[in-house]
Amino acid sequence: MARRRTTTVKTGTRRTTGTRNPLLLVALALVVCAAGAAGWGGWQRYAASHDDAASFAQARDDALAAGEQAVQNMNTLNHKALEQGLDSWEQSTTGDLHRQLVDGRDAFAKQIAEAKTVSTAKVLSGAVTELDQRAGRAGVMVALRVTVTAPKGEPAVKESRLLGTLTRTSGGWKLSALGQAPVGSTGG
Amino acid sequence: MNSDVAPDPDLGPGAEETGTRAPDPHDGADVVRRRWPRVLGALLTVALLATGGALYAEGRQLRDTSATANRALTDAEATTRVTGDVSSALSKIFSYGPGATATTRAAAKEVLAGKALQQYAALFGQVERQSADQKLTLTTGVVRAGVTRLTDDSAHLLVFLDQVHERRGRAPTTASAQLTVVAELRDGRWWIVEIGST
Repeated sequence: MARRRTTTVKTGTRRTTGTRNPLLLVALALVVCAAGAAGWGGWQRYAASHDDAASFAQARDDALAAGEQAVQNMNTLNHKALEQGLDSWEQSTTGDLHRQLVDGRDAFAKQIAEAKTVSTAKVLSGAVTELDQRAGRAGVMVALRVTVTAPKGEPAVKESRLLGTLTRTSGGWKLSALGQAPVGSTGG
Repeated sequence: MNSDVAPDPDLGPGAEETGTRAPDPHDGADVVRRRWPRVLGALLTVALLATGGALYAEGRQLRDTSATANRALTDAEATTRVTGDVSSALSKIFSYGPGATATTRAAAKEVLAGKALQQYAALFGQVERQSADQKLTLTTGVVRAGVTRLTDDSAHLLVFLDQVHERRGRAPTTASAQLTVVAELRDGRWWIVEIGST
């Protein structure tokens, strides 16, 4: 008891030291807090760049944008700029679809040159229905309005429902399959 | 705590006394020596805080984009749910048999709200009259539905539909259609609030 009392008296006399120490403690606590804040900020930054949901969301939007553009390209063709149009078809596609286009290019070009048609397309709406980021595959559905103008007669306007499969390549998402949504096969 | 304080008593009071009473030639150097850890500490604190803040801001920027605000597919469960709810709702409200339009009309009140309810009422008035006259049966099925935009309580969808018309005594015909639908989550259920042809 007695000893303890003397120590309290001693610290009591060193009043200045007594006030300095809490300050030091506060300063240390502040530094620790700051270090904590830096660490937390770093963690947030790390987590953000490794956020699967964010990269998935970005991939979905990229796939949709590429898909809509590709579908529009594939439904746009002017007989006066045939080579350019067919080039854009080939650039928009990959895999089987690309091969089919390359193989059938000459015959198709001849057909269009004879028919002298101009097709333009407008994407009305589109959605990604599935996305497998690891496999680099996405499914899209696109509602499209296609206008075909022949040398004679009124332009024909047709709305079409398309289902496409996209594959990720080094040059971005490209169509690997494209077809009309089947009619009369409800529940797909 | 005590071990930190313990060595001090011998040194502390003496240094303190000289500091408060009479400036000493050694005191200037002493003050500098005592101050630089404080300055360093302050600088360190500021630098750490700034780093933390900058990293956090950068992280936020990476994470809060227009892409992440849209939870279509990223929230698989909600996406499946709204797609299912809207698909079954559309099948129900666009299917009817002769003389059974009242059932369809009642079903519509359970899945439609707001603008969609008015749009539907206008459309269905005609259908009801025709259906009675022509003995028409309409069966609607969803071919494919996709979510274009999804947030906590609202969703935009694109839906491909097939509609089979059957007139008594004739072969059925199938028509394809596509709709854009806006749905809202109210009381834990998705309601269709707007229907548009694309």
